[in-house]
Amino acid sequence: MTASDLTDEKLVALIRAGDQELYGEIIRRYQTKLSHYLKKFIRQPDELEDVLQEVFIRAYQNLYGFNVNKKFSSWIFRIAHNQALNQLKKKSKETLFLEAGEYNIIDEKINLEYGVNSELDRRNLEAALNLIGEKYRQPLILFFLETKTYEEISEILRLPPSSVGVLIMRGKKILKKHLEKLYGK
Amino acid sequence: MENNHQIEKRVMEKINSGRLKLRSKYIFLAEKLGLGSAFILSLLLAVLFFSLFLFYLKASDNLVYLTFGSRGLFAWLESFPYLMAITLTIFIIIASWIIKKSDLAFKKPFSYFIIGLLAFIMLAGTILAFTNISERIEQESLSSRPAGRFIRPFFEFGLPDRSRGLAGRIIEAGENYLIIQTPQASKKIDLSQLTTPLEQPLLPGMFVVILGQRQQNFFIAERIHLISENEMPIIRHGVRGRFGPFENSGGNRSNGGGVFLPLPNGILTSSTEQCFKDCFDDGLNPPACQVQCQQ
Repeated sequence: MTASDLTDEKLVALIRAGDQELYGEIIRRYQTKLSHYLKKFIRQPDELEDVLQEVFIRAYQNLYGFNVNKKFSSWIFRIAHNQALNQLKKKSKETLFLEAGEYNIIDEKINLEYGVNSELDRRNLEAALNLIGEKYRQPLILFFLETKTYEEISEILRLPPSSVGVLIMRGKKILKKHLEKLYGK
Repeated sequence: MENNHQIEKRVMEKINSGRLKLRSKYIFLAEKLGLGSAFILSLLLAVLFFSLFLFYLKASDNLVYLTFGSRGLFAWLESFPYLMAITLTIFIIIASWIIKKSDLAFKKPFSYFIIGLLAFIMLAGTILAFTNISERIEQESLSSRPAGRFIRPFFEFGLPDRSRGLAGRIIEAGENYLIIQTPQASKKIDLSQLTTPLEQPLLPGMFVVILGQRQQNFFIAERIHLISENEMPIIRHGVRGRFGPFENSGGNRSNGGGVFLPLPNGILTSSTEQCFKDCFDDGLNPPACQVQCQQ
């Protein structure tokens, strides 16, 4: 059995037992996913790289703090989430950045009815997402762009699963309202 | 992708060189145990302080002031055990904060945990209030032992000299005046401005709660409630702690206060008044006289 066949939780147990090399497998599994998530908050590639590296360092240092009966992905996403927020606090700004394909995902899944065909549409969508507030923005990003389940979002954001659903629903409504204002409707 | 590969290389280099190490599992264990112990300790102290708070309300003169109506409100506020209430609140906040920090608390809305926590503290505190633990702690506060010195401020906080209310034991009753012992000192009470007539004569040895105004050297009484000795153990213990044990007769006859003096209001029938006088002369204590003469 190779390292790639093992579950995250099994890998963590083996690393804790002394097989440090297996942490490379953890990094390979999560670097793209976490990088994708962190790009929502950090646009500069150098800055993003530093934050991502810090996430893996912190995760390694605190491996004994992870409960192997829980999902590792939620745990490491929580570390990334906290690290991203710390970085934003340092810069005193909370700005959201979307990648090209993500405009369409938001348009389709949230059913905005405005389309994201032009550069102006994209800027409007980013502006509206930046206006809705952290409380609603985070669950929306994790649900629609990172395709996390309510349970996982609950673990990452430390919110009751029932509240996650409510926040996503309200976030969509608020997002639509901001877009209506931006389009002058 | 190249960058990502670099990250893996850099992190693994740090791990392999020994510069990056796992934090010991004992640190996490200690954190968990520490938080758990702090939670249990703050919860138990919150229960204890809630119980002491209820005991203070029941065993001091505090709630008696509310029986005077709106005029007693200020005296009630003056005698309120703020230090106890603040300490109780602090322990509840600490327990709530630990719940919020725990791994499990976010699964349900935080308000559910707070409601549960408050319900537990109130229930357990009320049950504890039915035992004699609070009274034993209060008596301990009068001792000079370290535990007593620690708990004393919580009881003393509501008892200092107040401007609108007094509670204590009568040691001398005269026409239009009383001298009472409070947990702080002896006080002279001016009865000339009583707004409501007394229901029975005031005798040395009786405990009273008085509403009025503090002046420089005396206290002008507006209304007086007679209270049985057992209703205000905190005041009784305070007076006893300051002035020594009470005499059985209920009156402190040695200081000249033991003569029954009829009240100026003349509210008693002559036969009741005579009964009280005889009873007092027979050396019975005031509560026994009350029972005998009001039958």
